[in-house]
Amino acid sequence: MFNAIVSADTLQATLDSVSVLVEECKIHLEEDGLEIRAVDPANVGMVDLSLSASAFESYETDGGLIGVNLSRLEDIAGMADADQLIHLELDEETRKLHIAIDGLEYTLALINPDSIRQEPDLPDLDLPAQIVLEGRDIDRAVKASDMVSDHIELGVDDTDDLFYVDAEGDTDDVHLELTAEDLIDLTAGPASSLFSLDYLKDMNKAIPSDAEVTVDLGEEFPVKLHFEIAEGQGQVTYMLAPRVQSD
Amino acid sequence: MGNAALRELAVIEDVPFADLQGSVVAVDAHNWLYRYLTTTVKWTRDEIYTTSDGEEVANLVGVVQGIPRFFEHDLTPVFVFDGAVTELKDDEVQQRREKREAAEQRLEEARERGDELAVARLESRTQRLTETIVETTRELLELLDVPIVDAPAEGEAQAAVMARRGDVDYAGTEDYDALLFGAPLTLRQLTSKGDPELMVLDATLSEHDLTWEQLIDVAILCGTDFNDGVSGYGPKTSVKAIREHGDLWGVIEAEGLQIENADRIRQLFRDPPVVETPELDLDISPDVDAAREYVTETWEVDPEEVERGFDRIEESQVQTGLDRWS
Repeated sequence: MFNAIVSADTLQATLDSVSVLVEECKIHLEEDGLEIRAVDPANVGMVDLSLSASAFESYETDGGLIGVNLSRLEDIAGMADADQLIHLELDEETRKLHIAIDGLEYTLALINPDSIRQEPDLPDLDLPAQIVLEGRDIDRAVKASDMVSDHIELGVDDTDDLFYVDAEGDTDDVHLELTAEDLIDLTAGPASSLFSLDYLKDMNKAIPSDAEVTVDLGEEFPVKLHFEIAEGQGQVTYMLAPRVQSD
Repeated sequence: MGNAALRELAVIEDVPFADLQGSVVAVDAHNWLYRYLTTTVKWTRDEIYTTSDGEEVANLVGVVQGIPRFFEHDLTPVFVFDGAVTELKDDEVQQRREKREAAEQRLEEARERGDELAVARLESRTQRLTETIVETTRELLELLDVPIVDAPAEGEAQAAVMARRGDVDYAGTEDYDALLFGAPLTLRQLTSKGDPELMVLDATLSEHDLTWEQLIDVAILCGTDFNDGVSGYGPKTSVKAIREHGDLWGVIEAEGLQIENADRIRQLFRDPPVVETPELDLDISPDVDAAREYVTETWEVDPEEVERGFDRIEESQVQTGLDRWS
């Protein structure tokens, strides 16, 4: 059994943060909220998301697992204005999700969860540096870097206590430094890793510009990006595997 | 092109590339190349892959397009090349040659008519694996550090037997005959855009309640690359007949059939001419610069045509996967 009412912007933010990596996902219906974990087909980017029951106007379930086509569900949710409510109800018999938006009723065929790629194990990461900054600063760094290169180096300068972003293209370079004062918080440690901008660009799309983003970094290690959605009732963590540093 | 009737019997499922991560596939090289040759020739202007000496190396474009899919999904390919043509297959080879000659004839006519669409279509059909094509494919694969195995006869049989022996995880071919050669798992559609298909021997046998040996007998009744089927014996009838009479000899005797070389054909599937799998170095580290130079300078392929492919190969070598940390 699953029966819930949620605001359109909460549902949209939830779906968007997963759909940047995968087209289909499993959604765990837990008594205290939804949980989603998915990794992209190349096993490079992962998302781990939970949306608390308190993010919903009403939320009832006795547990369950459903598989959804994200772009279909996003299209439907997109029919609602941000402040409209969306009613979701699972029909156990037909394995379909009934979605109602202000008189508009939609029946969405679910996907057999067994046919969706297995959920990944969370990588075991012990990352020495932590940077806390605003979503808009990540957006700035990613957008500027994307103009010159397809990869980006993220690092922390241990001695000067600053977070830096480096993008080296064939002809042009981009460099950005944010000191402890520019940041919300900084735990300095030895950290520098190279990442594909293709992935970071997609993840960046799902990060609200006013979100407080916690970035955990290491030396040639995956990066962890954590932020909240739905006014703190939803937790999203991205993990992105590094590229090999050639020189 | 193998046995179409087998498609009806084969149990085939879609398999996402992600599920293949970390495994090894023995690819029937000629079968794979044909696919890329026909699409390349169909969709690419010929001056792009023709050297100033008039040598056509569309295969190089095909290899650069096809190899990234393996690397990106951490699926290690081993390319298995044909040796000599099996004597029994002469008819099939002869037919293919006749078909090709007929196509060449029509191609000539289409050219005279100025029918460009027909020309493109027919050109792809007349494509053959010239010595240059085989040689340059091998040299490029060597630069890309892709392991190569030489089959004494058919590459497909060698690939299937490598899978049967457990030397690799999958055979890779479009040909349904891989089932008859006993490949437990065969990947098809490795050259298409979407996910590949997985053909499963065990599931096929249990679905029809047959043994592997009986499946071979069924195929011989329907017709294989080595014999024309018995008229009136489609896949369903053949399965029924073999189940009823136990094996091919039972059916032949009971129904008074005649199949030439039946025991030799059977033997070819059960125990084809193959070699032991050589020691394979599966730790692939391509020399992309050398490969690029080989394709664009030595063989004068338009660099633009292969840029994307080489970029993907490079990228696949530098991007790590999260599984390394879990």
